[in-house]
Amino acid sequence: MDRAFQRTQILTDHLLQFSPPSPLSSNACLSYSPPELSESYAFDVKEMRKLIDGHNVEERDWLFGLMRQSKLFNPEEKGGKVFVLPDYNQSTEQQREMTWKRIEYLLERGAFKGWLTEEGEEIEMRKFAGFEVSSIYDHSLFTKLGVHFFLWGGAIKFLGTKHHHEKWLRGTENYSIKGCFAMTELGHGSNVRGVETVTTYDSNTGEFVINTPCETAQKYWIGGAANHATHTVVFSQLHINGTNQGVHAFIVQIRDADGNICPNVRIADCGHKIGLNGVDNGRIWFDNVRVPRENLLNSVADVSLDGKYLSSIENPDQRFAAFMAPLTVGRVNIACASVYQSKVALAISVRYALTRRAFSLKPNEPEVLLLDYPSHQRRLIPLIAKTYAMSFAANYLKMLYVKRTPQSNKIIHIVSSSFKATFTWTNMQILQECREACGGQGLKTENRVGHLKGEYDVQSTFEGDNNILMQQVSKALFAEYMAAQKRNKAFKGLGLEHMNKPCPIIPSQLTSSTLRSSQFLMDALCLRERDLLNRFVVDVSKCKSEGESTQQAFLMCYQLAEDLGRAFSDRAIFQTFIEAEATLPADSLKDILGTLRSLYALICLEDASYVQYGYLSVENGASVRREITKICSELRPHALALVTSFGIPDAFLSPIAFNWIEANSWSSV
Amino acid sequence: MASSVSSQHDQVLVEVKSFARVLTLNRPKQLNALSLHMISRLLELFLAYEEDPNVKLVILKGKGRAFCTGGDVAAVVHDLRTGGWRAGANHFMKGYTLNYLMATYSKPQVSLLNGIVMGGGNGASMHGRFRVATENSLFAMPETAVGLFPDVGASYFLSRLPGFFGEYVGLTGARLDGAEMLACGLATHFVPSAKLPMLEAALCAIDSGDPEIISSIIGRYSEQPSLKEQSVYNRLDVIDRCFSQKTVEEILSALEREVVDRRDRWISATIQTLKRASPTSLKISLRSIRVGRFQGVGPCLVREYRMVCHVLRGEFSNDFLEGYRAILLDKDKNPKWEPSKLELVTDTKVDRYFSKVNNEDGEDLKLPVRSKFKLPSYVVAKL
Repeated sequence: MDRAFQRTQILTDHLLQFSPPSPLSSNACLSYSPPELSESYAFDVKEMRKLIDGHNVEERDWLFGLMRQSKLFNPEEKGGKVFVLPDYNQSTEQQREMTWKRIEYLLERGAFKGWLTEEGEEIEMRKFAGFEVSSIYDHSLFTKLGVHFFLWGGAIKFLGTKHHHEKWLRGTENYSIKGCFAMTELGHGSNVRGVETVTTYDSNTGEFVINTPCETAQKYWIGGAANHATHTVVFSQLHINGTNQGVHAFIVQIRDADGNICPNVRIADCGHKIGLNGVDNGRIWFDNVRVPRENLLNSVADVSLDGKYLSSIENPDQRFAAFMAPLTVGRVNIACASVYQSKVALAISVRYALTRRAFSLKPNEPEVLLLDYPSHQRRLIPLIAKTYAMSFAANYLKMLYVKRTPQSNKIIHIVSSSFKATFTWTNMQILQECREACGGQGLKTENRVGHLKGEYDVQSTFEGDNNILMQQVSKALFAEYMAAQKRNKAFKGLGLEHMNKPCPIIPSQLTSSTLRSSQFLMDALCLRERDLLNRFVVDVSKCKSEGESTQQAFLMCYQLAEDLGRAFSDRAIFQTFIEAEATLPADSLKDILGTLRSLYALICLEDASYVQYGYLSVENGASVRREITKICSELRPHALALVTSFGIPDAFLSPIAFNWIEANSWSSV
Repeated sequence: MASSVSSQHDQVLVEVKSFARVLTLNRPKQLNALSLHMISRLLELFLAYEEDPNVKLVILKGKGRAFCTGGDVAAVVHDLRTGGWRAGANHFMKGYTLNYLMATYSKPQVSLLNGIVMGGGNGASMHGRFRVATENSLFAMPETAVGLFPDVGASYFLSRLPGFFGEYVGLTGARLDGAEMLACGLATHFVPSAKLPMLEAALCAIDSGDPEIISSIIGRYSEQPSLKEQSVYNRLDVIDRCFSQKTVEEILSALEREVVDRRDRWISATIQTLKRASPTSLKISLRSIRVGRFQGVGPCLVREYRMVCHVLRGEFSNDFLEGYRAILLDKDKNPKWEPSKLELVTDTKVDRYFSKVNNEDGEDLKLPVRSKFKLPSYVVAKL
């Protein structure tokens, strides 16, 4: 009976909507109540943000402010709040022009000051912060900046020498030169050593002649090439007197100052894409384009005026590795930016889950908040823990990179490959879960979460295919193992020191306190890594003893290689979490991080490999699962504080994160 | 403060007009500067009206040629000297609480800004739903010139102005007329002062608190004023370019770059104004507006309260007392700021103004809980 009355009341309100009820009268219609009014913060969210952003918090806010305050960033009011988001309904050409205008605006305000002309840790960290902030606004903006500064600018910096730096870096920083990076070809992507573009040297004129000999040699996906870039760095085989000296990099002008395409260069568009339509990806053919001898980026190898090949690195493998340097920083940058997309999606979907209700448990009771469903907690809260873990790992990776030494290059390569693959895959998984958690609202472009999937999918391919990167990680671990064995030395570096200790033992009974002790969790992650590395070595060696080549043996053991790559990654990420936690004084921040840390590791322990390889018994597996559920409900009251700590300004979230009823009201149509 | 109870009571005049309440700030000799008593009285009235179903609308105006010129700085300084920083802070605590109540008020407040509206006067009007400017309106947030910073929730409402206009207005204390206030959104309507009595009568006659209806009534008396040719609002491009810079130093050098090749009196005057202001004030003001851009109105006020406590405690600088002396007391207009230069106010010094007051009697501003009311959506969006 009450229920019928309630329905009638709702219907009446709907019918009589021309005379809205006074704000103080009770109303059977649903109303929006901001989560801030019902949830409280048990720790200092500002301090937490400082900790997980790690650096340049003020710089970040300044950049957010620049974007928030400009019409170019397409501010729109929804539900009384202003949101900035590109108009993805614009045509491809319009989106590209808007990306470019946004870059010009930021440039004019000094946002890129020193990005290429200053040296040192401080500016490199500032740059990473700038990239992370730009990625939160739009992946096209991030990518176009990344291609220009990290790939083109990085190529000049790392592969060029003094006169290249003097000639190109300042102009790049102030955009009088717009650079792109022509590495990938239609026929060759991750296998850069296989590119088919050929460059020869003409000693009569002192010029290099760059040629695209066949269709599969056309440069493909070259960001900036279709509309804006004036220069590119071309990766090409270098043929000197009939000898192929391998892949080298050359500067080629592709457009003049008026934007006309240069002679002997042909450019075509890559067309509409599933995301990143604000980036003008193009294809380039070179018809025996001539460039001066100085345009060879000659930090590792040079050609003398009379046409002799000179290189400081004898080994062609090492020479090639040196050419890949610009990709390493790109990988660091991509990995770190992906974490911020997870933050955006989680902040939106958690805020929505704290204001959207569905189904009553009993008649006449209000419907239940989405986040009060244990199942909804189980979907979102572990992803929050993963995002915290990835944040600490990203900060570690950035520090590793900016404090690089010639000796640490190998470690940076392995860690950046593994983190880039793990973060970008995890990000896609988080985006999908968050999209579904927002239901139909997740499908609206203005609500960001669903749209981000299309925009960020490419990250698993950028700067190295994730699968290939993970194989490289396993191969590198294999090499570490063999080196340690051969020289009969202890493992050192990459966090593999645990291999020198006795094998940890998992207790047969797992209590709640064991499951939350960082020692146990670390042991469990190390155990898997150690065992999988041992197995991998055994299997590869077995294949080899049966007559297979090393390369073939790796290919055949791909499943173990994949599991090992993940085991390394999970353990390495966990380690950065523990280290971050250790720096904190005992307080509410440390408490909450401890809980998140346990949750992160327990999620890793839920991976099929733990039962498959028998590290956990079936009973232990059940205990892990029970503990995860328990932690999820413990963290439920902190959900809002945890996502607020991500530090994403309201304007960069979306209408469903705030007053979504008002944003969708008839008056706002 | 030796005024009798009855004259104190007259400082805020109350008229009951069916569903409307008309409150008049009545200290015309002091240009309606808000005394502690006035703040308390307004708080009391606003709280009572929120509970009263017979009140649907609150109209606020000022007697004489000012709407309100802000807080009573002389009284603050007096209390500060006699009762310590805590006594001075009490003025601000009450004032900010009133600002918060107005910002989150469940009923529409219409402020008739027919005259000067400065500092705390803006705190008493800008947070309300409707702000009506006239040809007599004169807006300013002049705090940086007296060693303070734009407070009363200004870091909320200034940071939400178009582009970087808020930084410009907050740092320079620039004066805006009614047309400019409307153009930038500080005012919601512009009504010629001659029509104000009619507007007031019309508003007093309605029986609804529906903002749409109130807006359309004010709209009936509104005009679209044109900006003066010399208006700063026509210089938004320069303002955006310069006041978007990261630091006060960079803002100044951006302004100086603008006049390298061409003379521009307005830019030169702006540079002079910034150079005359307290360096500490400029730096904490810029930070405050920048941070405020990403905070709700409550957190903005809590932060501003922390800042003002640090200012009153004079731990890092005594610019507030010096500004009061030079501008309001001795009127020599020659304050000796300390630190005297922008570069001496380091980031770490600025940071301290934003930290929690470390003192047993120092505590954060406790804002009234507003959840028990069903707040209108335009209020919810401010939280």
